Amino acid sequence: MIFREVEDRDLIAKARRGDVEGYNLLVSRWEKRVFNYLLRLVSNREDALDLSQDVFLKAYQNLRKLDDPARFSAWLFRIAHNEAFSLLRRRRPDVELAHEPRPQEPVSGMFPVELSLAVESALGRLSEDQREAVLLKVYQGFKFEEMAEILECPVSTVKSRLYTALDLLKTTLAPAILRGES
Amino acid sequence: MSCPSFDWKAYALNGLDAEERREAETHAATCSSCRMELATLRLTLDALSSLREEEVPRRIAFVSDKVFEARWWQVFLRPSFAAALVLALAIVAHGFLVRASVDAAVAKAVAQVQEQNQKQMTGILADYELFSKQLTRMYAMNTGLVRQ
Repeated sequence: MIFREVEDRDLIAKARRGDVEGYNLLVSRWEKRVFNYLLRLVSNREDALDLSQDVFLKAYQNLRKLDDPARFSAWLFRIAHNEAFSLLRRRRPDVELAHEPRPQEPVSGMFPVELSLAVESALGRLSEDQREAVLLKVYQGFKFEEMAEILECPVSTVKSRLYTALDLLKTTLAPAILRGES
Repeated sequence: MSCPSFDWKAYALNGLDAEERREAETHAATCSSCRMELATLRLTLDALSSLREEEVPRRIAFVSDKVFEARWWQVFLRPSFAAALVLALAIVAHGFLVRASVDAAVAKAVAQVQEQNQKQMTGILADYELFSKQLTRMYAMNTGLVRQ
């Protein structure tokens, strides 16, 4: 992680001098993480890809405003968060419909594909804020302080969202998994 | 229902320091409801981690995008451009220096040739004058104007 930060810093410096290839290398390091974060948040592949493009374009245009290159990841995800929620606000009626409680899918034995579907379904039932907290902590491994920076809210709020989400996921997933194992 | 004094979510997410961790583990050894809480949390987190990251459908790159082209002044900062500029200046400077030294060498050679020509011409004139005098004398002797 330290080496990655050092190399990112070098690539950021190159990109700031107008080195497009340096920036493309930086994009190739982060595109998968950003794309997956956006995909889980907006639940649409094409939208996630379009948003990823926008995120990296905005990041390039604002790279000079990044005070501390060591905080690049939190800064990048802050842009991704803004882009995602901008889209979610625009399509709010659809999103609300999409997140209405769905009937529990029968889980009879947990093959990996079924487990993935169950997880996706359980994540889909969370509110956007709760889901984002899970994505940033469980999938992206950010610290609470970094999450607070990305989401622009206090650490206590971040913890509250994450803990509520984990309680909901626990209630949905654990019994299903235990039923599948039995 | 787990005991409220222990934050099992922070424990499962590796958010406790060593001391808090040890306290929680000591408690869990004797509390079945906390053990159950921790087991369900771990099961949930394991299930979440089963979701694999997806590959990006298309490479995100901006090489061809206009907005990513360097501004005109940034071109001057590129190492390749700076190297080419230095090389071009070196060639021009070298051209001027070589030309100046060639001019100096040519001038020196011309002066040497001129001096050499001058000497030759002086010699020829001197020879011609001597020959002319001898010829006049021989003519005078042949015509008897001068005694031998």
